[in-house]
Amino acid sequence: MNLHSLMFLSADVTVDKQDGFLGVLATAAEDFIAVFNKGGEVLLSLMGGILPTLIVLLTAVNALVRLIGPEKIENLGKAAARPGLQWYPVRYIVLPFVAVFVLTNPMAYTMGRFLPERFKPAFYDSAVSFVHPILGIFPHANPGELFVYVGIATGIQQLGYGLGDLAVRYMLVGLVVIFIRGIVTEAITARMMKKGA
Amino acid sequence: MSAINNLIVKVGRSVGGVVGTLYQAGRDSVDTVIRNVIPFMAFISFIIGLILTTGVGDWIAKGLKGSASTLPGLLLISVVCAIPLISPLLGPGAVIAQIVGTLLGVEIGKGNIPAQYSLPALFAINPQVGCDFIPVGLALGEAEPETVEVGVPAVLFSRLVTGPLSVVIAYFASFGLYTSK
Repeated sequence: MNLHSLMFLSADVTVDKQDGFLGVLATAAEDFIAVFNKGGEVLLSLMGGILPTLIVLLTAVNALVRLIGPEKIENLGKAAARPGLQWYPVRYIVLPFVAVFVLTNPMAYTMGRFLPERFKPAFYDSAVSFVHPILGIFPHANPGELFVYVGIATGIQQLGYGLGDLAVRYMLVGLVVIFIRGIVTEAITARMMKKGA
Repeated sequence: MSAINNLIVKVGRSVGGVVGTLYQAGRDSVDTVIRNVIPFMAFISFIIGLILTTGVGDWIAKGLKGSASTLPGLLLISVVCAIPLISPLLGPGAVIAQIVGTLLGVEIGKGNIPAQYSLPALFAINPQVGCDFIPVGLALGEAEPETVEVGVPAVLFSRLVTGPLSVVIAYFASFGLYTSK
């Protein structure tokens, strides 16, 4: 069979696009289902791409935290409560990081109980601001809000770039930001407490 | 004989403990994935499907392109998200941040927003993080009611400063990120 007859044959089979009322209905139905076909495709790629890694990682970190025991980090909380300039990084970088990593969102905020009242709002601010920057590397800390990071990361992936650079920078900048947030909020809290007293 | 017996019992117990912990960890993680992650994936997939197949995408792209691909535009987004009356409304479940993040991701994937803006954008869409949760979070830290009274406005006002600041820091930290290939 040569090319010409093949083309002829395929032209024979093609159905003209229907017009009129039924044609409009048919097109509308196709457009309607296309939305969900595309959505299904996206869902499958998300579940195939992220979920297996996520489940294994979650399992490993959950097991690690269980074996170590969350109560081990209490000493760190007590250390962070000390006054003095050198304890600022402990209070607003190390403690939030460890709390979010080990206790995850939302139990991380319970570490505030070791701090004096005047540091509590600042610690909360610092810890809660870290529940997303940590997601790029340790998604177990806040899996319910994964898409703050994954949403944007998916776009980067589509461009064919690696995610490591973005994930690392997101976490490092996050650490700087929570440190600044802790200091600023502590200062504001101190002023407001003075005014109130 | 009893020493050997004790040893065997001890080894058996600790191995059993570790295996049990691992198994429980697996159960927990599958539970989290089914309860928290997959439902959100389904919801996000629907939105992405809608964006990609209808004209909504182009419409959003036009709106976002101006604001999300320049530093002043990102600053504007972060200031709006950090306004003390708006931030607690945007907070719950980080749903807004997740949707906006996904929209931006789609536009970055299409090349409408430069890839190096992904880092500052991550901070621009998120100055409201946890603003809905301050009283609960402070209560988890066993704060006194007086502390909560002061703490809520303190955090909200702090965000007005640190929100845009975080975008600026992220902007400078994004130099060299995905710029050459």
